[in-house]
Amino acid sequence: MINLRELTIKNLHDHLVKKSFTALEITQAYFSHIKDSDKNIGAFLSLHEEQALQSAEKTDLRIAAGENIHTLSGTPLAIKDNLLVKNLPATAASRILEKYTASYDATVIKKLREAGSVFLGKTNLDEFAMGSSTENSAFKLTRNPHDTKKVPGGSSGGSAAAVASHMALGALGTDTGGSIRQPAGFCGITGLKPTYGAVSRFGAIAMASSLDQIGPFGKTVEDVAILFNTIRGEDPYDATSTNANYNEQKIINPKLEDVRKLRIGLPKEYFTHQMDPEVTTAIESTIDKLKNFKIEFKEISLPHTEYALATYYIIMPAEVSSNLARFDGIRYARREKALAGAKNLEDFYREERGQGFGAEAKRRIILGTFVLSSGYYDAYYAKAQKVRTLLKKDFDEAFKEVDVILTPVSPTTAFNIGEKTSDPLEMYLSDIFTITVNLVGLPALSLPTGYNAKLPIGFQLIGKHFREEDILGLGQYYEKLG
Amino acid sequence: MASPINKKELLHLAKLARLNLTEKEESKLLDDLREILGYIEKLNELDTSEVTPMNGGSDLQNIFRDDNNQKDTLRGQGRESFPETKDDSLSVPEVLKRHD
Repeated sequence: MINLRELTIKNLHDHLVKKSFTALEITQAYFSHIKDSDKNIGAFLSLHEEQALQSAEKTDLRIAAGENIHTLSGTPLAIKDNLLVKNLPATAASRILEKYTASYDATVIKKLREAGSVFLGKTNLDEFAMGSSTENSAFKLTRNPHDTKKVPGGSSGGSAAAVASHMALGALGTDTGGSIRQPAGFCGITGLKPTYGAVSRFGAIAMASSLDQIGPFGKTVEDVAILFNTIRGEDPYDATSTNANYNEQKIINPKLEDVRKLRIGLPKEYFTHQMDPEVTTAIESTIDKLKNFKIEFKEISLPHTEYALATYYIIMPAEVSSNLARFDGIRYARREKALAGAKNLEDFYREERGQGFGAEAKRRIILGTFVLSSGYYDAYYAKAQKVRTLLKKDFDEAFKEVDVILTPVSPTTAFNIGEKTSDPLEMYLSDIFTITVNLVGLPALSLPTGYNAKLPIGFQLIGKHFREEDILGLGQYYEKLG
Repeated sequence: MASPINKKELLHLAKLARLNLTEKEESKLLDDLREILGYIEKLNELDTSEVTPMNGGSDLQNIFRDDNNQKDTLRGQGRESFPETKDDSLSVPEVLKRHD
């Protein structure tokens, strides 16, 4: 009997190589568990059993032939539905893409496919990754596996819930303002937002291009490190991707002596914000554990922190309004209505977009159109770009004194379904600790504190640009502390 | 600065963004935008007159590749999801008015 709860990417690989079971058996076990459990969770928008079983068989054939297999060969993964997998739907949880089928693989998918990974299905999200609870999906509600009255977080809530409820061994998400880290925190798993430029975005449905990154979810930091190491790298199809000087061994097998040298900064501005007392206690216990592990701490200051959210809510919608302009109701598969009814193309666009986009997408498109419009550009967009520079300088200064910055992931644990849907600003404030990282392009890891509370509580490790090995290394040793 | 969003402005933005809005959506959007823009006013506390704006998500400059020929393997893909095609082209409603 295969116990899906105890599997990690690493030990599945060992089992496959030892032939304790086959990749086909493990994939079947996942589908059987999904069929039992996903009706209560709602993590998946579509399942692709036939393709998944076929790719699992390929791994088994290679093992039978005595070939060496990649660590991710036969690993069952869930993919956020704003990432393109050839011949599968990619709806971004939007009505306007309801009928769309991807005609190519995203670069991250191509890399995972080459490694032999198995794609179980596409996961739910807030429409176009806009939201913090997955409640903005046009298609379904996703529930937190730890308490089904609570949200899983968002926007990658389906991916996080799938991994947390053992319906996938790992997953991919995207993170524009916390969309990997916050749901990882709410669901009690680990998620990485890589450095801007570390991972190609080719084949990701763009939301805000100066902020978006694709990143992995896993049950352990080591699994996340393995996934990150496979998907990273320069790609001619994404000009913002770069070939950073990563050391593969240091990402996957960090050395204790390297981790012990890291100095951690605690930004005082993040600890004055109104937080749930339980979150404060959990973070304090994490800091104590790391201090006992002889890691050096230092109080630091990121003085412009209180301006980050306002800056984000200018820059992000500006980019949204231009990225979502491509969805004209024509190019990415038609919806129900016939073309013949429209008087002219402009009316057709307005009708299709008016019906195809949900409330949050419309809110951000209008806000973005406003901040970019003539007469307001300088007051809003240009101003925000300048404050973005100030935010970056805060981190440049802080990283002269420390190597890693530790913060909470969210001010609260997972909130109730429906609790924040009527007040957008209240919803936006739930991302207060994760947003700055995207504005500044830094890598950040969200992982469980391990603090024993009713709902999971995560903490965040922010690293220097292209220094994922520091936060992944520290994270891997933290997990071992228990 | 007082929030400049009013209904007329909103309708203009909706036209620019090619969105039809229902009346209910209009009034909710007006309330939401006023609240969000009110929050954003916070940035005016900062003097940024000497600050260089940050464009994009990194310090990267433009990256150019050599202008090599590449085989376009995706040509025509995606067309199958389009309901009306004619001689390899996609049919859409009238774009420009005909003046016969």
